Amino acid sequence: MKISLNEIKKYVDIKIPTDELIKLIGSRLVEVEGTDDWSKKYKNIYIVKVISCEKIEGTHLTLCKIDAGESTKFFSRASVPHEAQEQAPPAPAGGRAAGSQKDFVGSHEGTVQVVCGAPNVHEGMLTVWIAPGAIVPTTYGTDEPFEISERKLRGYDSAGMLSGADELGFSDEHKTIVEIDPEMIGADGKKVTPGASFADVFGLNDIILDIENKSLTHRPDTFGLIGFAREVAGILGQKFTEPEIFATAGASVAGSGKTSSKTSEGIALDANISDPEICPRYSCAIVDFTDTPHSEYLTLDDIFLVKADMRPISPIVDATNILMLKTGQPLHAFDYDKFVKVGGTKQSKIIVRTAKPGEKLELLDGKNIECDENDILITSNDVPVALAGAMGGKNTEIDGHTKRIILESATFSLYHLRKTQMKHGIFSEAITRFTKGQPSGLTMPVLEATIKTLGEEPLLIEDCYPAKPEQPTVPVTLGDINSLLGTSYDLDTVVRTLENVGLEVDTDEVASTGEEAANISSSSVRASLGAQQARPVKTGASAAGSARDIAASSSEHDFIRISVKPPFWRTDIHIKEDVIEEVGRLLGYDNIPLDYAKRPFIGAHEDALLVLKSRLRDICSDRLAANELLTYSFVSRKLQENVGENPEDSYKIVNSISPELQCFRQSLTPSLLEKVYMNLKAGYSDFSLYEINQVTKKSFGLNSENVPTMYTHLSFVTLGDFYQAKAYLKALFKDLNLPLDLASFPENNYPYLEPVRSAVITGKHEISTSSGSAKLSSLADRVDTPVKTVVDTPVAQGSANFVLPETIGAIGEVKSQVLKRLKIDKPVAVFELDLDILLENLPKTNIKSLKFSRFPSVSRDITVRVKSEITFKDIQQALEKALAENCGVYAVKPVSVYQAISKTKNLSFNLTFADLDHTLSADEISAIMKKVTDSVVKQFAAEII
Amino acid sequence: MLSVEDIKKSLKALNAEYAKMKTLAKEERKAFGIQLNEQRQKLQQELQAAEEAAASRKVKPIDVTAPSAPNKKIPEIKQGSKHPLMTELNRVLDIYSHMGFNIIEARQLDDEFHMFEALNFPDGHPARDGYDTFRTEEGFIPPAHTSTMQHRALVRYRDDLEKGGQIAVVIPGRVFRNEDVDATHEHTFYQCEGIFVSEDATMGQMLGVLKNLFEVYYGQDLRIKTQPGYFPFTEPSVELLIEKPKSLGGKGDGWLEMLGCGMIHPNVLKIAGIDSEKYKGFAWGGGIDRLAMLKYGLNDVRYFESGKLEFLKEF
Repeated sequence: MKISLNEIKKYVDIKIPTDELIKLIGSRLVEVEGTDDWSKKYKNIYIVKVISCEKIEGTHLTLCKIDAGESTKFFSRASVPHEAQEQAPPAPAGGRAAGSQKDFVGSHEGTVQVVCGAPNVHEGMLTVWIAPGAIVPTTYGTDEPFEISERKLRGYDSAGMLSGADELGFSDEHKTIVEIDPEMIGADGKKVTPGASFADVFGLNDIILDIENKSLTHRPDTFGLIGFAREVAGILGQKFTEPEIFATAGASVAGSGKTSSKTSEGIALDANISDPEICPRYSCAIVDFTDTPHSEYLTLDDIFLVKADMRPISPIVDATNILMLKTGQPLHAFDYDKFVKVGGTKQSKIIVRTAKPGEKLELLDGKNIECDENDILITSNDVPVALAGAMGGKNTEIDGHTKRIILESATFSLYHLRKTQMKHGIFSEAITRFTKGQPSGLTMPVLEATIKTLGEEPLLIEDCYPAKPEQPTVPVTLGDINSLLGTSYDLDTVVRTLENVGLEVDTDEVASTGEEAANISSSSVRASLGAQQARPVKTGASAAGSARDIAASSSEHDFIRISVKPPFWRTDIHIKEDVIEEVGRLLGYDNIPLDYAKRPFIGAHEDALLVLKSRLRDICSDRLAANELLTYSFVSRKLQENVGENPEDSYKIVNSISPELQCFRQSLTPSLLEKVYMNLKAGYSDFSLYEINQVTKKSFGLNSENVPTMYTHLSFVTLGDFYQAKAYLKALFKDLNLPLDLASFPENNYPYLEPVRSAVITGKHEISTSSGSAKLSSLADRVDTPVKTVVDTPVAQGSANFVLPETIGAIGEVKSQVLKRLKIDKPVAVFELDLDILLENLPKTNIKSLKFSRFPSVSRDITVRVKSEITFKDIQQALEKALAENCGVYAVKPVSVYQAISKTKNLSFNLTFADLDHTLSADEISAIMKKVTDSVVKQFAAEII
Repeated sequence: MLSVEDIKKSLKALNAEYAKMKTLAKEERKAFGIQLNEQRQKLQQELQAAEEAAASRKVKPIDVTAPSAPNKKIPEIKQGSKHPLMTELNRVLDIYSHMGFNIIEARQLDDEFHMFEALNFPDGHPARDGYDTFRTEEGFIPPAHTSTMQHRALVRYRDDLEKGGQIAVVIPGRVFRNEDVDATHEHTFYQCEGIFVSEDATMGQMLGVLKNLFEVYYGQDLRIKTQPGYFPFTEPSVELLIEKPKSLGGKGDGWLEMLGCGMIHPNVLKIAGIDSEKYKGFAWGGGIDRLAMLKYGLNDVRYFESGKLEFLKEF
């Protein structure tokens, strides 16, 4: 939103420097995203009179002599560097700062020669001259500022340039040069003369503020210049003088019925609102007016529109836009004759209603829309002629033949219009204002003002106003205000601040005894507490004292009730906090003394899952040397299909940015596989990646809050085979002090893993009834309540022991066809863990029960030949068992797995063992080794080699 | 210095002297032996020194700037890395923990109630538009702010209030906005929300606490300022700006917009079953991506979710 400071100054007396004002607006009203200083932009541009015109043979050019009045005296040759002009004292005399006094090329006896290509240049016209050395305004401040010079065109000297509205930044069309009404009275109050500064005449010595109006969503009043100016007065601590349009508006009275109608001179105006909910007020008038194309002259109104980033179009459109920019109230004009014809009636009959599903309308921009029952339509005798609040219909468009108009000034339900805006993608200035909830109080006065601007009298005027909204009276105490803000403002300051922006304030003393006083006393004590604490953080040292002392020292004003009645244009004040906001903001939040929260010394709880995640990140990054990454929570359907996941089980985003981001992911590994491909392609050949994040799918079901159950997973991918991933997983589990148990791979949640080369990681955590309940309630306690269905039942039934049936996760090699589909040309192994389950399986202690012997240990290698189907684990466990029975400390380390023929394999181990009491003798060692070898030989028909 | 060979010759000669012992008188033998031993010891020391000097002359000098010895494999150290966003988030959470805040993580798929209704957004209110939310077919919403967890946190800890305590919670989480991605906009990013409720919370406290938070984070005193804001779930609402810290090249003039904050709207407390007359609170929320971008001087937010090792290995 663009706001002209000059326009604001018409309503508010601003005494402080502009930069301070902009800072104040930023800190007390709304973010100022940028400022555009126009005074520099239109420097050295003058109003001139064309004395003579002479066509240049064989071209479209005209050789003009212009009267540039006094300006040529102020302004020297093009050789004046632009920078020098910049630094010069204020115009007009300043232009003379440097350069020679020589006349411009082709100038003669006070006239300047300019070659002009515009078709509308003619003798006697007043136009705009960009003098040599000046910058074309539209290029000002850009990377390539275009400086006008003196030069030869087709052999003729030409100094400067006669400007079109487009070069000045006032139009998007490049056709003609600007023409100025010779009778015009400028913004400076003087009649325009050749040589006058263009900026002075058109009020361009201005600063345009670029306002980020997102934070004004609840403030429709600030979407008009007057409302914005009122706030500026408020933050400057000045009482705002309401312009007539607002001063009188509050007085209008609601009509008694839903409809009313009037007739005059054989024409009638009948307006009906089907439901006041969708249209609280509909004011309209019939005016005889012939719309003409935009005047040939550049006017001050044009500049007003341009400063707001709009363009002049035609007298009717401009009048409605100007009034909208000033008041925030949008208007619309219909062609009366078309309106009546469309409705098939003799007189105008307006019905405002919601659309029927499928009802069609061609809009002014030529777009055909199909409505639904949310859209509000303006109809002529039930035939749609406009999409209310958004855009008029083609069938009642104003054109060159229009002789009579119906002017509409109404308010509509912002909720309906918001949906209409989204559905049909209409983002006009009007709907932007309507969707903030314009007050109904303004429609009539703005309608009347618009007709006045057009210089007409209404034939008929009509106001359908079924119910005038009652403004609430909001009670608040000074104590409420100071205790929420942490301030100690006095009553006068508060009342004045509110009254400055048009709020009606009544104060009324509450008896200091009796029930009412008792009711408010507690809040008053709090209030004074707030005031007591309100001192700068750095200096606030002394204790606040007892509540009794504070109550005694608190201001008597804390007990005074302040009744605030917002004016009709304030739709945002309903509760006392709204009033407190007003006080805090207008007086400046930055003036609130800083304080610290009063906190007891209570340690924060640690969230077990967060602690685990942090631990896992330490392990994966610091010990396993993997790189942590983050990938999007949404994946493509294609990826899910490629890895064998069922896309139908995914929650799908209906308004996704692209098909790549359509499905909420069911597991993390597929996302990581995509990154494996990318990084392989980038030339990395040895890496492990991991991510910790949330996953969900429909089959997980909903939790007790009826939102999808989500789990936190860790996925770890590495280049290599199963055993590579297992080595990492084993190290990770060792760090967690958790035994690693793998079981054969059933059909499960990881369709991309090769079943015969993968395993599930089983949890062994058994929960007894009592501790189980505790644990589960702690699970259920988690805000995200990841209560698994299987866990729910036993708790509800209070049954005996049960085991969490979920596996902690899975580990394995990615199926070769999956790798192929993802274009990964190296084997990849992964493990994916469910951290909620892992958490439940973590040992509750960190006791490692380490035992080391003081005596030398014995190291022996042993190789066992067994049948292929015997697992490594079988042999290892048997060896461990035999050693455990025969010596104090021992270790069994895998050395190798060798398989030459398919029937048998050779498993080699390194055994180390020692006794806790003495050094083992050679005999003892032989005896132990015999027992150990015997154990495997017997049990597994093994052969020691 | 004598060469190794010369010393060895001398030693040999000296050893030959021992044969003379037999020829000497008994009384002389002792003194002679001591003398020989001393000489031998001296020679042996000289020999050792000479041998070591000779050996050290054989050590070849190296090019210390080279990554390896000639013809040898370049040694490699495998190093992992942590994602900068997670590192930054953890740092912020650590500070909050030290300040006594409990932590609750936000969920990544939520509903209309937690996204809007529980936060006092009227149904169909234009303020909802500002969030550009994604939606699933079922109407679930990947949260557009971590405020979705406010209601849950208030409900979870409201009993503490009744027991005379306070609510002090921070909520980190991944959030989503339906907007086009460019160097400064991501549809997926991280936020951290905070809420504090007590009997005497004030806006002055809020500003003091947040100022302190950033002072701890940046390790210096900082000036703050505010800009009025609008959030349906806080009243009053402001945007908090901090002076650009020295560690980010601040020279005391620039300002950084850090977060949105405000006094919790009484309706939000009421919906959570908290007496809004008795208790007041403040809430705030800011982005983590921005903190990390500023800290590491990153110019493109898209690095974060790129998964490129080239990027990840830098952290």
